Amino acid sequence: MDGVLVGKRVIGAQSPVTIGWDNIPKVQGGPVKQFIFTWFQPTMLFVLVAFWYYAPNSIAKASIALWVGFCFRMLLLCLEWVNPRHESWRLTWKEAATDLFYVGLAYTLLHVAEHYLGSDAMADAIGHYFHQDKFAWFTSLPLLVQALLIVVIFDIGQYWMHRGMHSWYPLWLPHSVHHYITQLNMNKGAVGNPVELFLIGLGIGGFFDFLPRAFLIAGAFSLATGTYQHINVRFNSPRWWRFLFNTTEHHSLHHSQDFEATRSNYASSLIVIDRIFGTCVDGEAELLGMEGGRRMSIREQMLHPFTEGWKAFRGLAPADVSASTGLRKVS
Amino acid sequence: MSLPFIDWIWHVRGRLALPPGQSSDDAFNRLDPLFGQEGTVHRRTGGTLSFTKKNQAAQDRMSVFDGGDLRIETGAAGSALHYRLTSRALLFCFLAPFLFLCIAQLTIAVNKLDKPKLEPAKASPVLQMNPIDKALGAPAPDPEPTDDAARLLKAEEKKPSPTAAYVFAGIFAALYVIGRILEDRLVKALFRKSLLGSA
Repeated sequence: MDGVLVGKRVIGAQSPVTIGWDNIPKVQGGPVKQFIFTWFQPTMLFVLVAFWYYAPNSIAKASIALWVGFCFRMLLLCLEWVNPRHESWRLTWKEAATDLFYVGLAYTLLHVAEHYLGSDAMADAIGHYFHQDKFAWFTSLPLLVQALLIVVIFDIGQYWMHRGMHSWYPLWLPHSVHHYITQLNMNKGAVGNPVELFLIGLGIGGFFDFLPRAFLIAGAFSLATGTYQHINVRFNSPRWWRFLFNTTEHHSLHHSQDFEATRSNYASSLIVIDRIFGTCVDGEAELLGMEGGRRMSIREQMLHPFTEGWKAFRGLAPADVSASTGLRKVS
Repeated sequence: MSLPFIDWIWHVRGRLALPPGQSSDDAFNRLDPLFGQEGTVHRRTGGTLSFTKKNQAAQDRMSVFDGGDLRIETGAAGSALHYRLTSRALLFCFLAPFLFLCIAQLTIAVNKLDKPKLEPAKASPVLQMNPIDKALGAPAPDPEPTDDAARLLKAEEKKPSPTAAYVFAGIFAALYVIGRILEDRLVKALFRKSLLGSA
């Protein structure tokens, strides 16, 4: 395989990838289907943001946000059946059960850990030193501007945490497990070692606790843009959408079996951050995973960072991201 | 170890009559491609085919099974394929509700240990709405509660709730029932299709 030169990097020399928007297949079907799968994403973004903007205070609560998120994900799950991107990514009972185990961990154990050890605890510990009146300049901004700033600040944090995970071996160890997934579907974002899921969840969320409505709008914004990273639906995303936001195309490339491709598209919702820092590659991949697409069992996913870390500590394995991926750098 | 009363939880058994005139060799030859997947090792001895799978791909149509035996038995009514398949995924899914019930109890226990401490109430400034939001009709924020009971209630509400763990226990119980019935039917249909398909 020759790969494609993107900037100074050769992408796709180890595994097939498609580079460039013009080369990516379009939604097939009649005009109604084309219309739905072109405008679904912008419409849902508008609907979700408008819902939280106008929701009465009695329902503008985190518990309702959980249900809204659940219903939105169920809708996307239906779209996966109607218009899958790849047949080889079709959800099976086993994949659904495995993925839901991780989703369950995220909503239960990790939620408790985040509350007592993560962002919420940090916000509680530091919060006493902040005075709300010092943030009056922020809270008096229009709600949508507040929400957008929260998304941008959060996403920049996520970008650097994610990029760090792909560059520094101790952080790569817990993150590597997530790269063993061999398909993208609705719940795959939750699949990974709990240590990594805890780390990636570390953010600034708790600090915006005093801004419930702006925070809810920011959450809706992330839900309506970031969820498409791991999903098996083909959309004809408008040009401006794919310039600004992360898409399945971008994230499938990030999960491909090609080492150079995995070192791109780190942002969570805003792919424009990758464009700014020069790590964005527009394209897609179908063959995903590591070690030739070997599927990891849950047991191995739980233990892998520790066993590999121990091997590296004992000098039995190289403490190097490119060597441990089974996707060595192509010189 | 034989556990005849409970091993139905993670075992799928079945029987399929072979088409008249189909020999055991012919039947196994037709089934062979199913066991040629990555991570699958299989062996044929006489009228029995045994297989094991490790790290099977999601795209493997028998990925839910980790091993099993298929044998051809000939009786008065003709030959039939008998199979007994093992699935750790089914066992895991059967046990998952208990795990989430334990997590719910753990959440309750941790919450009991955490007694919210109320800081002395500060006079928090009234959040000013931006004129644009007023003009667009966004609801005005509620004032922060100042009495201790309301503040304590708010602090309690922020604690993690065990409800999610109960919901996931229910989801996995339902998922097990669906999987146990669905995978049984799917594998039977897969074997039937292979046995009846053109050679």
